[in-house]
Amino acid sequence: MEPILEISNLTKSFDGKPVLKGVDFSVHPGEIIGYIGPNGAGKSTTVKIILGVLERDGGDIRLFGQPIDNQTVTYKSRIGYVPENAELYETLTAKEYLLFIGELYGMKEEIILSKSEEMMDALGIKESLNGRLASFSKGMRQKVLIISSLLHNPDILFWDEPLNGLDANSVQIIKELLWQLKKEGKTIFYSSHVMDTVEKLSDRIMILNDGEVVADGPFEELKEEADGTLEQLFNTLTGFDQHAALAEQFLTAMKGDGSNDA
Amino acid sequence: MMRDILGLKKGGKTPVYLRIIDVLSGVYEKFGVDYPQMRNILSMKMTMDGRRESPMQAVSSNSRSGEEKNHFFSSLWVYALISVFLLFLFAYDNWVFQYTTYFSFLFLMTFSTLLANFSTILLDTKDSILIGTKPVTRKTLGAAKATHVGIYLISFTMAIGAPVILFTFYFNGILAGLLVLILSLLASLWCLGLTLIVYATILKQFDGERLKNIIAYSQISLSIFMVIGYYLVGQIFQIIDPETLLVEMNLTLGHSVLFPMWFVAPFGLLQEGWTLTYGIYTGLLIVGSVLLVILYNWSTDKIESNLQKMNASSLKINKRSVLERIAAAGLCKDPLEKAYFHFSWQLTKTEREFKTRLYPSIASALVFPIVFVFTTLTGDQTAGLEQNPVSFLYLPYFTLLLIPVLTVSIQFSTNYKGSWVFNLTPQQSKAPFMRAALKAMLVKILLPLYLIIAAVVLVFSGWGYLLQMINGFLLMSVVFYLEARRSVKSLPFSREYSASEANLGCMGTLIFFVPVFIISLIMILSQLFIPFGEWIILIIMSGLTIWWMTRGFNEKKQA
Repeated sequence: MEPILEISNLTKSFDGKPVLKGVDFSVHPGEIIGYIGPNGAGKSTTVKIILGVLERDGGDIRLFGQPIDNQTVTYKSRIGYVPENAELYETLTAKEYLLFIGELYGMKEEIILSKSEEMMDALGIKESLNGRLASFSKGMRQKVLIISSLLHNPDILFWDEPLNGLDANSVQIIKELLWQLKKEGKTIFYSSHVMDTVEKLSDRIMILNDGEVVADGPFEELKEEADGTLEQLFNTLTGFDQHAALAEQFLTAMKGDGSNDA
Repeated sequence: MMRDILGLKKGGKTPVYLRIIDVLSGVYEKFGVDYPQMRNILSMKMTMDGRRESPMQAVSSNSRSGEEKNHFFSSLWVYALISVFLLFLFAYDNWVFQYTTYFSFLFLMTFSTLLANFSTILLDTKDSILIGTKPVTRKTLGAAKATHVGIYLISFTMAIGAPVILFTFYFNGILAGLLVLILSLLASLWCLGLTLIVYATILKQFDGERLKNIIAYSQISLSIFMVIGYYLVGQIFQIIDPETLLVEMNLTLGHSVLFPMWFVAPFGLLQEGWTLTYGIYTGLLIVGSVLLVILYNWSTDKIESNLQKMNASSLKINKRSVLERIAAAGLCKDPLEKAYFHFSWQLTKTEREFKTRLYPSIASALVFPIVFVFTTLTGDQTAGLEQNPVSFLYLPYFTLLLIPVLTVSIQFSTNYKGSWVFNLTPQQSKAPFMRAALKAMLVKILLPLYLIIAAVVLVFSGWGYLLQMINGFLLMSVVFYLEARRSVKSLPFSREYSASEANLGCMGTLIFFVPVFIISLIMILSQLFIPFGEWIILIIMSGLTIWWMTRGFNEKKQA
C-alpha cells in the first residue's frame, strides 16, 4: 500500500539551534501512530511543519501522495488537527467556535450545527453548547477541539496530546473512538506522554529524541529491544536512567537547609 | 450617529461593515482571496472584539452575559470633536494649504494609532495555529487580518476627518467634498499598506531575538519619520500677510518625497487648474497607489508565513540589572512588594506585546506636543519663543502625557491567565502589587525619559532650575498614582488585549492635554514667582510621593 505520509530528512532550526536533525518516517493508511518523546524533542514542530504553520529548512514531505508546498492548502481539508495546549478563541461560545471552524472547511451551517450538537452530546457537553469557551474546563476545551478536528470527516488526524485534561471516562470514549476511526480507514498520528495508553493504543510507536527518530515500529518489536515496558524503552532511548537520583535531589532542594520559611 | 454608520447596531442581521465588504467581494476574489472564508474570519474577529470580560468573571458565567458592544466605535466621536479645531483652515482661501494641513494631520494621527494600537493585532501569532491549519491560504488569512484592522483604521480616519470632510462640501463644493472623502479613505489604506509592507519585509529578513528588537525599532522610527515629515510639510508654507491670511507655497524638488503632498495636488488642480507641479504630484499619487497595491499583494502572505518566528524563544540569560536592584532596595520595604516589583520589571522586559504597544505610544505621545508647539504652520513664528530659557521649563511636563498610555499598558498582558497566581498569595495583594508595578514603571520607563529631557533643559537654562526639575519628576509620580488609582480597576497585567480597547491609551493622552497644561502652568508660575515656591512644592510633592509609595492603594478599612 502507498504510504499516506512520507517524510524524509526533515530539518528545522530555530535561531541557529537545530530542533529537527533529519527526521525520516512514513505512515500508511489506517495506522494509529503514537509519536512520543521528551519535551522539546520536536514533536509539535514536526506536526506544525506538516500542517504548513512552520516552514521547514530542508527535507521532503509527501502527504496523500503529493509533495507539500506552500501554495496549495486544499490538502488541509483532509486533515484533522488538535493543537497542543488546548488553544482556541476563548471569547466565542462552543457553538460559534465550531461553526467558525466548520465554515472554514466550507461546510454548510445546518450540517455543522447538527453534527456538533450530536458530537457534543456524545461527549457529554451538549448543555454547554452556548457557553463561552473561556468558562470551559481543560477537558471540555479538549473535547471541543477534538470535535472541531473531526467535523469535516478528515482522512488523517494529527492530534497533539489529545487526552490532555480529559477525565477517565472521556479517555475511554476517545480511545474507543480512535479504534473505530481506524476501522473506518482513517490514519491517526498522535502524541502523548502517557506511556500506558500509547503502548496499548498504537499500531506503531515512534520515539523522537533530540530531533531524531530513535525508534520506530510496533510495540511488540520494540519490546524485544528493551525487554519490558514502553516506559523502560523510552528511558533507555532518551538516555534517561536517573529518575531516583533526580527525585532525591529535588526533595533535598525543597527542604532547603531547614532554615527557610514555608 | 457615528455608531450607526459603522454598523454597530445589531438590529439588522448583517452588520454594515460586512455589507460594505460584501460589495467588494469581487475585488478580494481578484487578488486570490477566498471571500467566504475571509468574511467568516472577519465576522468572528469582530464578534470577539465586542466581548470582553476578565477571565475571573468568565468562570462563573456560563452563558452569554451582558450587552456586546465595541468600545472602540463608541469612543470615536471624541476624535471627531478634537479635529474640529482644523476647521480654522477654511479661513484661508488656499485649498492646497487647507488640505496640506489636513492630510499631514490625518497621516500623523492614523499612522501613530496604527503603529501603537494595532501592531499587536497585525503581529498576532495565534491565528496561524488555529486558522492556518485549516484549508485557508495565507493570502486569505492575511487579507482577513488586514481588513479587520482596516475597519478600525478607516473608522478612525473618518472620525478624525469628519469635520473637515463635511465642511468641505459646504465651503468648497461637492466635487472637492467627494475628492477629500475618497482621498481620506485612500490615506487610511496607505497607512495600513505601508505598515504591512514594512512588517512583511522585516519578518522575512530577520530571525529570532533580533527580529523582535527590529520590530520595536521600526515602530519607533516610523513614528519619528512621520513626525519629521509633518514638520517638513509645515515648512512648505509661509504666511505672507497675517491680515488677509495669504499664504505662499515654496515647493521644491525635495518635497516630492513627502507623500502627504501627493494627496493635496488634486485639490490644486481643482482650484487653480493645470500646473506641471500638481500634475506630477497627482501622477505620483496614482503611481504610488498602484505600487502599494502590487507590493501589498506580493508581501501579504509573507507576514503569515514568517510570523511564527516571533515565537521562537531564546535562552538568553536574563539577569536583574543594577538599576532594578537598587530601585527595588530603595523603594520597596515590604518583601512582598519587592517581589511584585521584580515581577513587573521582568515581565515588561520580556513581553514583546507590551513593548509593541508601549514604545510607539511613547514616541508619538512625546512627539505630539513638540510638533504642536514648534510647528505652527508658519514655521518662524515660534522663533521668538525659543529665545527665552524659561520657556524650556515646560518641556519636562510633556512626559506627563505618557502616563495614560502607561497606566493602560500595565493592565494588559498576553499571559493574563497567569494572574490566578496573585489570588493564591497568602496576603492581601492588590495594594502592594499596584505600588510595585507603578514604582517599576516609574523607574524603568518614566525616569530615563525624564532625565534626558531634564538634562537638555538644564543645559539650556542653567543649573539653577535643578530643584524645579526634581519637583517635576515628583509631580509626575503623584499624577501617575492618581491616574492609576482612577483607571486601573483590576490587578496589573491581568487582562487580555483586544482590538476594541486599542485606543484606550490614546484617548487618555488626548484628554490629558488640558489638565497637564494647567498643572504645568501652575507649577512653573508658582516656582517662578512665589518666594520659596520651589521648596514648598518640593516638600508637598515628596510628601505625597512618599505617602503613595508606602500607603497608596490600601483599601479603606470598612467599619
